[in-house]
Amino acid sequence: MSFFTRRRIRNASLLVLALAGIVWWVRAREQTLDSSALGTGYLLLAAVFFLASYNVRKKLPFLPLGGSTAWLQWHIYVGIGTVGVFALHARTAWPSGWLEALLAVTFYLTVGSGLVGLYLTRTIPPQLARVSDEITYERIPAFRRQVRRQAEEVVLESVAASGATTLADFYTARLYGFFAGARGWRYLVRPTSALRRALMREMQDVRRYLSEQEQIGCERLFTLVRRKDDLDFHDARQKVLKLWLFGHIGLTYALVLLAVLHGLLAHAFHGGVA
Amino acid sequence: MSELEIAVPRPRRWNEPFGEMAEADVDALLRIEPFRSIDANAFPPSLPLRGILLGDTRIGRYQAGDLIVREGDYGHSAFLVLAGTVRVVLERLDAKLLGREEPPRRSWRQAIAQLWSNAKLPEVRASAGANDPANDRVGTRDESGTARVFLQDVPRLLEKTGSVQLGVGEIFGELAALTRTPRTATVIADGRATLLEIRWQGLRDIMRRSPAIREHVEQLYRENSLRVHLRETPLLYDLPDNIIEQVALATEFESYGNFDWYSDFGPNHARDATEQIAAEPLIAEEGDRPTGLLLIRSGFARMSQRHGHGHRTLAYLGKGQVFGFSELIESHATGEGVPWRHSLRAVGYVDVLRIPTEVVRELIIPNCGLWIADCGLRMQDTQQSAIRNPKSEISASDARLLDFLADHRFLNGTQTMLINLDRCTRCDDCVRACAATHDNNPRFIRQGPKHDNLMVANACMHCVDPVCMIGCPTGAIARDANTGTVRINDRTCIGCSTCANSCPYEAIRMVEIREPGGAFLVDEATQQPILKATKCDFCAAQLTGPACQNACPHDALVRVDMANLTGLSQWLGRKAG
Ligand code: SF4
Ligand code: SF4
Ligand code: SF4
Repeated sequence: MSFFTRRRIRNASLLVLALAGIVWWVRAREQTLDSSALGTGYLLLAAVFFLASYNVRKKLPFLPLGGSTAWLQWHIYVGIGTVGVFALHARTAWPSGWLEALLAVTFYLTVGSGLVGLYLTRTIPPQLARVSDEITYERIPAFRRQVRRQAEEVVLESVAASGATTLADFYTARLYGFFAGARGWRYLVRPTSALRRALMREMQDVRRYLSEQEQIGCERLFTLVRRKDDLDFHDARQKVLKLWLFGHIGLTYALVLLAVLHGLLAHAFHGGVA
Repeated sequence: MSELEIAVPRPRRWNEPFGEMAEADVDALLRIEPFRSIDANAFPPSLPLRGILLGDTRIGRYQAGDLIVREGDYGHSAFLVLAGTVRVVLERLDAKLLGREEPPRRSWRQAIAQLWSNAKLPEVRASAGANDPANDRVGTRDESGTARVFLQDVPRLLEKTGSVQLGVGEIFGELAALTRTPRTATVIADGRATLLEIRWQGLRDIMRRSPAIREHVEQLYRENSLRVHLRETPLLYDLPDNIIEQVALATEFESYGNFDWYSDFGPNHARDATEQIAAEPLIAEEGDRPTGLLLIRSGFARMSQRHGHGHRTLAYLGKGQVFGFSELIESHATGEGVPWRHSLRAVGYVDVLRIPTEVVRELIIPNCGLWIADCGLRMQDTQQSAIRNPKSEISASDARLLDFLADHRFLNGTQTMLINLDRCTRCDDCVRACAATHDNNPRFIRQGPKHDNLMVANACMHCVDPVCMIGCPTGAIARDANTGTVRINDRTCIGCSTCANSCPYEAIRMVEIREPGGAFLVDEATQQPILKATKCDFCAAQLTGPACQNACPHDALVRVDMANLTGLSQWLGRKAG
């Protein structure tokens, strides 16, 4: 059993135990006809604050507040645990009242985005690792420009050397747009190698019409197409990871605000149930 | 001749001489000892004694209190006193006195104060350092273009510590230069002194051709270090004193590879694995009759076995490890000759002690006696704990990984930064944490050579052989005696870039510094920016330990001592999960 599997089992067991304890406490309160809403509400609020404080910890690397790995593990399991506490607190999936409904939607979206993030952070890195070089996200636009410049040089050189324009025509018709910039949103959501394969196939088809000089240029274009596709892939996948985090943090701040507001209102209108 | 080729003179050894020696200086040297007694005819025409003195030596003039060598420095040269006297300080000097003050670990209060006290701009310094008045224990001055560091108030310092005076004709610093070990003592100019500094290549060539000098240097090593070194070897540590004495007398010294291995290594000198192995100097060849027990004194050696048309790496041997013992034991037990089962090659530069076969048979094996099996076990232990034996720790399929680590010389690292690309989300939390704790400028780049899903990031590895330390004129870059971390003292760094140019891993970056108001600091004389060398300091001053590792949320980044194979293999095993 790997280290990570052992860790997963240990943390999940702790979570189940903690949730069982909370359920037991809520039942005990209810048997004595006490309300558990205030208790679970505070617990939920504390959990939300704790989850949001992870981002603060990240900004303070010079304070000995514990490793980020441990924080992330707590963040994940406390985050999952809040779903159970939320259920105990709200008693319904869809509370009435516009503030409560908005709070519930924000909560679901935050938890949902967290789970999506967990999936993305575990699945995207191996995909990136399989692609040739390690590429720094911030440098991708510069690399793209470089690849495009190189591709144009290859075409111009082959026209100058051979006097033929077959490769140049093909470039203008099929490759110019590919080298011109980033791929669209569809590729962002679901990057595939379909375009790369299609372009390679077309280049293979056009090869037999090329002069010897142009064939040399075509070989170099093959490499540049591959490089550009790798850049696009890294760009898309890394962008998804960044956008996801951006969204998750934004939702967290909204959740903190709404939860505090809900708490204040709950206290203001708390009638003191017998 | 084709237009694509331009004829230029082939680069030669002394194109870049060590100093500015004039013919008259060499004439003067050849009239004094020890050079007067050296037979110039023993040197080939391509490597004349005169040439060595012209190209591999330089004359330095020192004033009272000037530091010539500092304890703990890495040096690549030895010294001969030509005029005046120098003092070897016998006791360990306070690190502060040598300008090597440990950065104090921040307190909680100071750690929190970073929230508002850290500058917003990168690389802000309160002062340019070096001649900073706060730094009152050492000073620097310029001696014809060479930076000299001097100690204040030497007489009072020497009152407290014992010292030995060396006079004209005496040599010092040769062992550290030849064995690439840290200098064991500090040497200070005792008044005005003139010294001949000879770089190790020149000393090595003179030793090869001058038996008197070779014997002198070897005698010094035998007297001062060899016994200790033999005792440190697990196989020999409980041999009786008289046996160790005899073993020491019979031991031969050998060195393989290029002491300057880092000069032809680096990103621009990539080779494929087969070429790489073929280019490594052979120390022992598989199938040959053993000529002795080989003991690695310093550096790394690749142990490999023939496989098809190439060689498969099996292990790397480092300081204190032995090669060929099992063959000698087996041959002793069976009475038959057992050839070497593996080959041994120098990775970079290796110093080897060869204990002749007869000495092993007559002195070591009988004295191990009943404990021969135990000796074998002890060796196995060392191999496992100290170094890279793929058979026991890493599966044969990981031989490629071992080759990768050796070919890039990552074995040199004691705190190598490894990133598991299957877990790294490229979030750059590690980079931001490093910047937040280091003048808003990260001390590493999250890029580097890849092997499958493992990346060795471009961060200082705090090497076993920190070649960056060679030649620093002020000793600003030094290894911390307690933690082994290689650190740069920002206050004594004069920005000469020697360390950055020497580090084969390109882990040191020169940065332009600013004053707290944000303006870049420039040299008042030349108007050129003031530079400082920066690199990973392993977060020595931080309460958190390495901030990069601490900041990684995904267990993707780790600092690994490449000598701790168990740690490495455990981490590699984890990543599968
Ligand atoms: S600076 Fe370079 S040579 Fe020096 S210890 Fe770091 S990695 Fe090694
Ligand atoms: S140990 Fe500290 S200085 Fe070194 S790379 Fe990590 S964060 Fe930067
Ligand atoms: S913090 Fe960890 S996951 Fe993020 S970039 Fe650094 S190594 Fe990768």
